[in-house]
Order: sequence, then structure tokens, then C-alpha cells
Amino acid sequence: MSEFTREGLEPLATLGNDTPRIDAIERVTGQAKYTRDWKLPGMLYARVLRSPHPHARIVSIDTSAAEALPGVRSVITYENAQVVWGAGSVNGGRQYNDPTKDATIHRRYIFNNPVRFVGDSIAAVAATDRHIAEEALTLIAVEYEQLPFVLEPEQALEEGAPQVYAEGNLCPDFRGEFAPMISNIGDVEAGFAEADQIFEERYETGFIHNAQMEPRCSLAHWQGDKLVLYTPSQGISNCRHDTARDLGLQDHQVQIISKYMGGGFGNKNQNQDADLIAATLSRRAGVPVMLEYSRREDWLGVHGRWPTVQYYRVGVKDDGEVTAMEMRAYSGMGPYRKNSGGISGMDAYGCPNRYREIHPVYTNRTTSGNFRAPSEPHGHYGVENMMDEVAYQIGMDPVEFTLMNMRRPTEQQQFTNYSLEEVIRNGAERFNWQARRRVTPGSDEGPIKRGAGFSFMMFRAGVGTSSAIVRVNANEEYTLYVGVTDIGPGAKTTMGMIAAEALEVPLSQVEVVWGDTDRCPYSVGESGSRTTIMTGIAVVEAAEDLKRQIADRGMPTGSDVLIASATPTPTTDGMTRQCFGAHFVEVEVDTRIGATRILKYTTVHESGRIINPSTARDQIRGATIQGIGQALHEDLLYDPQSGQPLTPGYYRARHLTHKDIPDIDVHFIEVDDGYGPFGAKTAGESGIILAPAAVANAVANAIGKRMTSLPITRDKILGAMA
Amino acid sequence: MKALTNVNATSFAEAASAAQSARQQGQAVAFSAGGTDLLQQIKDGTDNADVIINLRTIGDGRSIGSDGAGIAIGGLVTLTELSQDPLVLSGLSALAQAADSVGTPQIRNVATLAGNVTQRPWCWYYRNGFNCFKAGGNECFSVNGENGQHAIFGGGPSYIVHPSDVAPALVAFDAVFQVTGPNGDREVSAEDFFVLPITNPERENSLTENELLTGVRIPTVSSSTVSTYHKIMDREAWTHAEVGVAAVIQRDGNQVQNAKVVLAGVAPIPWRVQAVEEFLAGQQIGEAVAREAGEIGLQGAQPLSNNAHKLPMISAAIERAILNLAAG
Ligand SMILES: Cc1cc2nc3c(=O)[nH]c(=O)nc-3n(C[C@H](O)[C@H](O)[C@H](O)COP(=O)(O)OP(=O)(O)OC[C@H]3O[C@@H](n4cnc5c(N)ncnc54)[C@H](O)[C@@H]3O)c2cc1C
Repeated sequence: MSEFTREGLEPLATLGNDTPRIDAIERVTGQAKYTRDWKLPGMLYARVLRSPHPHARIVSIDTSAAEALPGVRSVITYENAQVVWGAGSVNGGRQYNDPTKDATIHRRYIFNNPVRFVGDSIAAVAATDRHIAEEALTLIAVEYEQLPFVLEPEQALEEGAPQVYAEGNLCPDFRGEFAPMISNIGDVEAGFAEADQIFEERYETGFIHNAQMEPRCSLAHWQGDKLVLYTPSQGISNCRHDTARDLGLQDHQVQIISKYMGGGFGNKNQNQDADLIAATLSRRAGVPVMLEYSRREDWLGVHGRWPTVQYYRVGVKDDGEVTAMEMRAYSGMGPYRKNSGGISGMDAYGCPNRYREIHPVYTNRTTSGNFRAPSEPHGHYGVENMMDEVAYQIGMDPVEFTLMNMRRPTEQQQFTNYSLEEVIRNGAERFNWQARRRVTPGSDEGPIKRGAGFSFMMFRAGVGTSSAIVRVNANEEYTLYVGVTDIGPGAKTTMGMIAAEALEVPLSQVEVVWGDTDRCPYSVGESGSRTTIMTGIAVVEAAEDLKRQIADRGMPTGSDVLIASATPTPTTDGMTRQCFGAHFVEVEVDTRIGATRILKYTTVHESGRIINPSTARDQIRGATIQGIGQALHEDLLYDPQSGQPLTPGYYRARHLTHKDIPDIDVHFIEVDDGYGPFGAKTAGESGIILAPAAVANAVANAIGKRMTSLPITRDKILGAMA
Repeated sequence: MKALTNVNATSFAEAASAAQSARQQGQAVAFSAGGTDLLQQIKDGTDNADVIINLRTIGDGRSIGSDGAGIAIGGLVTLTELSQDPLVLSGLSALAQAADSVGTPQIRNVATLAGNVTQRPWCWYYRNGFNCFKAGGNECFSVNGENGQHAIFGGGPSYIVHPSDVAPALVAFDAVFQVTGPNGDREVSAEDFFVLPITNPERENSLTENELLTGVRIPTVSSSTVSTYHKIMDREAWTHAEVGVAAVIQRDGNQVQNAKVVLAGVAPIPWRVQAVEEFLAGQQIGEAVAREAGEIGLQGAQPLSNNAHKLPMISAAIERAILNLAAG
């Protein structure tokens, strides 16, 4: 079930109507060309050799037998191909910042020695077919000197722990200083002094792979000094810039083509080592090279959500007012710093005294990086379970406790609009919260127990500047050029719809050109939930310009065209722009076998005006499904003795199947804050944030025991009940 | 993936002799039935076959039929066929249910009875390339490692659990396994087909090199026999059993005359819980009896450091399977 509440919003001609994706037919009929579908004359296939050890120094490498294998055209290793992969490791995880990349202390190369995790790349082979390339890998002789390794972030900071880098295991921040990330608001100690009761708990979350359907791949084709790169990308402009930078080229010497891709969820931001390896092999071999990662390589060699350990302390008065919140936490980044290691959630509370200290830590696990709402789901799980526990301990309804303590607009910090309270109340009513939650957790008789939980969020809409170009010909056919790709949320269709609305023509009159940096202007990229609002605003402005031109000069005739472009720098007048959401879940736990089943799942979101209801709804559903998987199943288990990963892949990480997925009710409250294109805000990432928190709260309400570690697997439930 | 030779066999006997001659030339050989498991193992490098002997080109072994003595099921019958066959559905519910619980429809459409019963362990050490007993080494890495999915009964020196759902049902029905080798045919009871690691830590069954499983024969079950397969999984599909229970009960009204109870997912072979079978004989099926049976099912359990959570699951699974078989 899904529903859109649009009180006070003016209906529009195109926006707000369920609209099939403009590339749906190509996709479902197999005509869509994904990166692996490209075939170029003389193309070679490439494979990467990876470290089988969690930490080792390579003593020697001998590629002569591989080179001698008929069909092998190029072999490159850490010895003869030292290319810095700028986005692979950045001080402070500042992914989009060139000066920080330049100053990065712990650089990552396309091939590394020492190797620092199982899956670290050391060499690659290009050959006339895939099988020869794979056989050639087996012929490369590598002698390793194994080094001690460390897997758990807290252990990595203990004295005497194996060192991933000589400077220690605490990751440097963006200034290059080895210090935790600290945010200190008010005076926590004074806040704790004011409290009647103080609660503490430790929460833990696992590594979650993005698990997008299409593993990484890259096809590189040099045309003189120009590199044409076919690669699945969530940001062709950023990928172009990163690739040019890493290869010592100018941006215009690189063309990125990403016409169709099989999902990203943050796996495909920026450039990937695959792009640089394919480009390097292709340059040496003098012909196009297609590099493909297997599922296992994609799982271990790219990245996933960072595992965390979070210690909370919360002070509360007897009437429910929270006076102090403190979190000390550890994020396991693997051996390279691809992202911040952030843990968000405390900011959703208004408590004036808040202290947060996060230690991003190097380990010898696989690398951590972007995954849909990179800092949020694990953080909301930790803080909202902590607060849910506090509410029950002091005898309050968690919803009332939240309404009392959540963040609201202040003099100092205004919002473009604020609907969190409405979202929560609306959700509680639809879900029938009062009837479903157990006032006394775990109070159902018998082994099958039900309970309900909820969680809430606000999520910032990213910033950035994009451009758009729109053209019209004498047939009144409009062409929109935007540098977007479609990682799932339907950006191509959304851009076409926004253009049609702004141009006051039907969508069928608008053709969208996307996914090619030589044909499309700069776009921020499909990350940070910002394409709709940032590129969308550029589309609106370009369309307005074109309409003015048409008004001034009339429709073009003959072979004339009119063209308009825009590169706006939108602001929100110093206010914060947030989307809001609340999720309510009812679960049934079979405490004899530790199984959790979801009986009801209600979501309410406010993401401004909804452009395309069908894709917006599916965004929330898909993200919620990922969040439930994080809550109940997914993890990457390592063997503590050998440092080997044991559970990569869909089968072992136990992703939800269709049979596991409950009905998910989606409700949007639509508003126009006057800032986004036609009032749109952000939706893409937000849906994933709340399920781990809400599901865990519901399990606690059902069984009367707090689940302090994700995923909530059977053994943990049975352990708690024993 | 390495280069391979494929041999299309036209009979089981030919497959056996082809295997023998390839081995005599020093090549590693694997039989491929549905190939759903084998090909992935070859790609992962956990099976190093040089020669694949393709059984899909064999005409025999694809039918299910009954004669006076019972039901004969060909080894190349797919799991989908097995789960939908009228003879199996009417007399051998536990077998149909077990087959239907395997993996996904896509896997069941291709995977065969013989391949399912002889599939290699899914232990995450073995499948991740550790040089364990199953790979020809002499260590079981689960003992001091991650053993949440490992054996509770019959373990040592290897602690794998047998992955097949179909096998426990076959044991519970007293199936006879038919085997063909270079030296001819033989029959072996389902129970004797599977071997504990104490006997042979490298292999899960008594097939010798170059021998194949060609089919099974299930003795006639009486009309008073009821059966079920109860599987606890970590998600609703596409995964092996955490704990499975095949229960076959001959009953008079609600009174048990004779019971066979065999567990999946907890031992290196399909694990008969004889104490439960003995307890059930003569009892009236009911909640208290089922619960006690579940508790008795834990006799002799030897959990490892990290798999004791399977104990309550075993009890619950036995209890629920038995209650499922209550009359009316
Ligand atoms: C994702 C996934 C989930 C799964 N879930 C389950 C599950 O829930 N329950 C379950 O029981 N199984 C499960 N399986 C395993 C699946 O059942 C097996 O892959 C399948 O049954 C094997 O049948 P096959 O005919 O494809 O065998 P193959 O892959 O062809 O062979 C499997 C093994 O048996 C050997 N073999 C094949 N035929 C013979 C023969 N006639 N004689 C001797 N040896 C032979 C092969 O050499 C090989 O070692 C799962 C598999 C996958 C991939």
C-alpha cells in the first residue's frame, strides 16, 4: 500500500504522476547496453591478482611464465605500474577534495606492497580471452612474507596491536593529524550532573556490502592521448576528474561513458581501481581492455559499510528530558580510508549537551566506503536503541519520549521546512502504535512473542552545482543534456519529467541525453541524494531560459535550433534543508528457534514534492529491504586465526529473498519548501536509515531483551533468551 | 577457470569406466549431474577436476516408478520432478518436502537426486579454499575458529555438517542406494552409504573412486505411515538447513508403532536420533510427548564453542515435526 498526501500543493501536469522509466523497455528487453556488453575490435580481457593474505610483504614476484603464455598481451604489477588511486585512500575520507588527496599520508596504489587485506590487488593480466587471463594469473609466482594482522577496530588501538601503518592504526583526519573526530556541543558533564538517571550501553554493527547486482568492470580504449572509459559510474563527471587526475591527464582527455548500469548504492562513486588498471593495461597493450571483477572480487576488493562499535551514555531527568548524550565509537575502515567512518544519529536530538568522539581505525579487513547513507543506518540503530531503552527504563512511550527530545528548529538553526513531528504522529496513527507496542517489553505469554518498534530521522539534502543544456528544433522536439546516470532511482526519467514540466510540454516531446561526459555537462553525481535537487534546478533554469528565447524569437524554423543552458548555484538562505521520516515495525519472534518475522512495516516520509511517485515509493521500499537485511542478516565474518573472510556473496551474507520481504507501506507527506525544483527535496538514501533501528527496537519490545549487536541473528536471540 | 575436458557419458557404466581410465592417466575427475554445485566448485578452485564426466547425456536414471517391492527413483531425476511426482507426494511426503525445500526453483529445476545426496560440504572453510580434511589436508579449521554452523553430533576429526536435505529423508525411509562402478553394480543401505569423518575424514560417503550413485529404491511404506520434513533455515529460501528433521512414523490412530527420525544440518552425515525413535514407539502423539522427544533428541550432543544455539532449534524442530504428524 502507498499513499501520497498533497494538501495545499498545486497539482502539476507531469510531476506527481506515476511515470514509467524512459529506459524501461530497453532494460527489460535486453537492448540496454551495460558496460560488459560492449565489444570493441581487438579488445582484450583482463583479470586481477589479489592477495590471499590479510597482511604481508611481497618478497618477490615473477611474471615470466604468465607473460610466456600464448594469448597474454600485458602483465602489470606493483613493480612496474605504480599509479596512485586518489579516491582509494584520502586523509579524513574526504573523497571529493583534491588538495586533501594531494596531502594524503597513506596513499593507495592500484597495486600495493605490502598488501593489507585479503583481496588487495597486486598485479593484472590482459589476454585475448578471459580464460587465458585467468590461467595466466595462476602462473604468476609471488613470494610473501606474512605479517601480523588485526581485524577488530578496538583491538587495533590496543597497545602492541599489529600495525597496519608505521604511524599506528588511528586514521589521520583531513588535516593529516592522527586524532579522532570530535564534536562537542554544550557541556556534557554539566548535563550528566543535572540528570536523575544515567544509562550506558555498547552497540555493535557489522560490515554490509552494497550487494548491487552488477559487479565492477571497466573497458578502457585509448584514442591517441585520449582515454575513453566505459564504466558503471554513479557520477560520470567525478569519475572523469578522478581518472584524469590519477593518470596525469587533463579532464578533457578522458571520456566516461556509463549508459546503463546494474545498481550502485555507493559502490560506484568516483573512479575505481578497475578504471585505472584497465586504462594502464590498455595503454601498454595498445588495444581496448575490458576488466571484469567476479562477485567475490567485488565483495572483497571494492568496499562496504564500515563495521562499528558505539559506546553511549545518556543522562535523563525523571520527567523524560534528556540532559546529556555521549558517544565514543570506533569505525573499522579496513586498511585504506575511502570515507569518513562517520556515525550519525545523535544530531536528531535537541539535547543541548552532546559529546561525540569517533575513532576511524585501520584494520586488515576489506576496505570500508560509501554505502547508501554512509554514516546513518548503523548510527541510528545505536542511538535509537539506546534511547528506546532509556524510554522504557523510565516508563515512557518511546514516541512521546522522542517528541519531547528530538531536534526542532531554533533561532540559530532554521529549517527550510520542518515536518518531523507530523511525520511521527502520522506514522504512529497509521500503524496503530498504541495497540501494537507492548508497554512491558517481552510480556507476551508463550514462546512466540510480538512487539513493535519505531525510529525516526532527518537527513540533509546534499549540496553542489550542476549544469543542464536544453535544445529545441523546428519540430518542437526538445533534447535535454544532463550528466546523470541511472543507478536505480530513475534520474534520467526524473530529469526528463522536470524538463517537461518546466517547458510545459509532454514528456514524450523530451529526449534525454545522459551518461557521457563528452555529450553532457557537469553533474554532481548520483551520490549524496542530490541529483534531483541539484541537477533538477539546473534543468528548470535552462528550461526557463529556453522558454524566454522562444517567447522572444518564436519557435525555430527549418534547420535552426534554440539552445539554453544553466549552471545555477542554489542556496537555502542559511537554513538547513532536511527530509524527514519515521518507520514503525511489528515483529513476531519465535524465541524457541530465534527467528524474527516482520508482520507489519509502515513508513512515512516527507521528501518535499514527489516527482515520480512510482520510483519514489520503490526507493523507500528497496532501501527499507536493505535496512532489514542489515538488521537481521548481513555481515562479513572473518576467521580470527587466519584473517580470511568466510561469508562473502549473496548466499553466505544471507541477503533477504523475496519470500523474506514483508509488505512495506509507504506514505509520503508532500510539501513545497520553495527551494528545490518544484519543491522536491531528497529521497534516494533516506529509506535505508531507519530499518535497523526500528527492527531492533521491535525485537527488544517483543522479547524484553535489548539486542546490542547487529545483525540480530538467531544465535543472538537464543543466547539472550537462554 | 582452468581448461577442462568434457566427456559425455551415455550410460552409468560408461561413466564409471571413463572415470577410471582418466584417473589412470593421472587426471582429476568429477562427475557432473546437474552441475549446480560442481561448476561453482571448479570456478572457485575447490574442485580441481581436469576431466568432467557429464551425466546429463545418460538416458537412464530419469524416472520414478513403483513395483511390488517399492518405489525406484533414478539418480538423474531433478529435485523439481521429485517434489512434484504423484507417487512421491502420496507415499513419501517427507522426501517431496525435503526436495522442495532445497535452494531455489532455479536450482531445483536442474539439480538431481544423486547430485544432491553427493554434494560436497558447504563449510565456509572448505569452500573458501582452506586446506582442510575435505580438501585433502589434515586439519579442521572450525574447531578453533568460526563454528556456528558446524557439527553437534558425530564430529571429529572433521566437523562439517552434511548439507543435503534429501539425504535425511532417504535414510528415514530406509532407502537402498544403487551404485555402479568399473567392477559392476552394488547396493548399499542409505545409512551405510554415508560415513563419519572418523572413518574417512575426506569423503562423506562410501563411494569409492570411479563409483557413481545411479538411483535409490525405497521399500514399500505401509498406508498407516505418515512423514514430514521440517526445515529451519536462516532465511525463507536459497539456503541450507540450520536444522532439518525428517520424521517417518507408522501409526495407529495417534499411537506410534514405529518411528524414524533423522536430522539434517547437525552432523557430518544424516543423523538418526535413535533415542527419540525408541522413546516414540508406543506413545500417543501429543504436545507433551513431542516436547519430550525434542529434549531426548539432544542426548549425546557435543556443541562446539559457537553452535550451542542449535540445541534449542533441534528440540523445537523435532517437536514440531512430530506434532505435524498427529492424526486429524
Ligand atoms: C545457492 C545454493 C543453495 C543451496 N541450498 C541447498 C539446500 O537448501 N539444500 C540442499 O540439500 N542443497 C542445497 N544446495 C545444493 C544443491 O542442492 C546442489 O547444488 C544440488 O543438489 C547438486 O545437484 P547437481 O545435480 O547439480 O549436482 P552436481 O553439481 O552435478 O554434483 C554435485 C557433487 O556430486 C557429485 N556427483 C554428481 N552426481 C553424482 C553421481 N551420480 N554419483 C556420484 N557423485 C555424483 C559431483 O561430482 C559433485 O561433487 C544449494 C546450492 C546452491 C548453489
